[in-house]
Amino acid sequence: MSIFKEKSVFTRRQFLIGSGMLAATAVITGIFAKFGFDAYAVSQDYIAKRAAGLYNLDEKMAIRKSHENPEILQIYKDFLSPGEVSPVSEKAHHLLHTKYGREIPAMIEELHAHRHDAA
Amino acid sequence: MSEINGKVLKHGEQTRTMHWVHMIAFIILALTGIGFYFDIGFIAGIFGGEANSSLVHRWAGVVFTVGPALYILLNFERFARFMNTIATITKDDIGWLKTMGGYIPFLKGEVPPQDKYNAGQKMLGHLIIIGCLLMILTGFPMWLWRAVVPAAFLAFCYNIHFWVAVILILAIAGHFFLAAIHPKSRVEFASMMMDGYIDAEISAHHNEKWFNSLQEVKE
Repeated sequence: MSIFKEKSVFTRRQFLIGSGMLAATAVITGIFAKFGFDAYAVSQDYIAKRAAGLYNLDEKMAIRKSHENPEILQIYKDFLSPGEVSPVSEKAHHLLHTKYGREIPAMIEELHAHRHDAA
Repeated sequence: MSEINGKVLKHGEQTRTMHWVHMIAFIILALTGIGFYFDIGFIAGIFGGEANSSLVHRWAGVVFTVGPALYILLNFERFARFMNTIATITKDDIGWLKTMGGYIPFLKGEVPPQDKYNAGQKMLGHLIIIGCLLMILTGFPMWLWRAVVPAAFLAFCYNIHFWVAVILILAIAGHFFLAAIHPKSRVEFASMMMDGYIDAEISAHHNEKWFNSLQEVKE
């Protein structure tokens, strides 16, 4: 039985088309990557400036810790845990802890059911 | 056509390995991708839940990129020959497209002799290369730069990724049908998925121009 195989001839045309395709891919990928890296650099710069701004604002605040904020303490004493300051009270847990994704519809229903409680 | 005894080596070992790797990665990517888009819990469950499914999708994307890239670097000559074949469009290819290779019953006419790949396969070759490049170029920013690139650019990537995926999945479904199921061409399946050989007479009939350029090696 005969076996047929391709001749091992590699023409200039084949080489040029193959390397041309690789070069075109490299150029397109390069342009795309350049855009991405530039956007990344701009973003990092923005994040650094924003963080510096937030720290700067925070340093100028009179009250810098939420657990020492008299208004927050008053809310706990009057409403979230009447008579005391208890950050993990039942009411604080339900009202201050949020939900994500598929838990959201159930949370909305629960809030509707208790909408008169806060009044 | 005279009787030709023998067989033709159509796809080498590394080409078949690359095809297998790319095919498995593509199936995983398509399945997980469909699972994300239509929010199908069953598909996510196969890959270990939604978070794991997302992780599998991303790493299958790495295999999808690195597999052919390695193949091209290690087999540049083979890749260059392939590119040359699919980039060469002659009157015979136009003739094949006019008759659609005889695959469509009401399109009558003589099918001209074809190269190693017929005009339809050449078009699929272009589609897969451009499609894969677009998937890779939009996929990685969606993974690695999602927090830093503008939201509009990310949305653009998501749209391109989705529509190219739709086109590629349909094209690959057609490719599978013609290469593995259609009675006229399903002999191709064993050639790419198994030992690389195809019957010489079938090759002389389907890929006449290419067959005439081959050399006979006695076993």
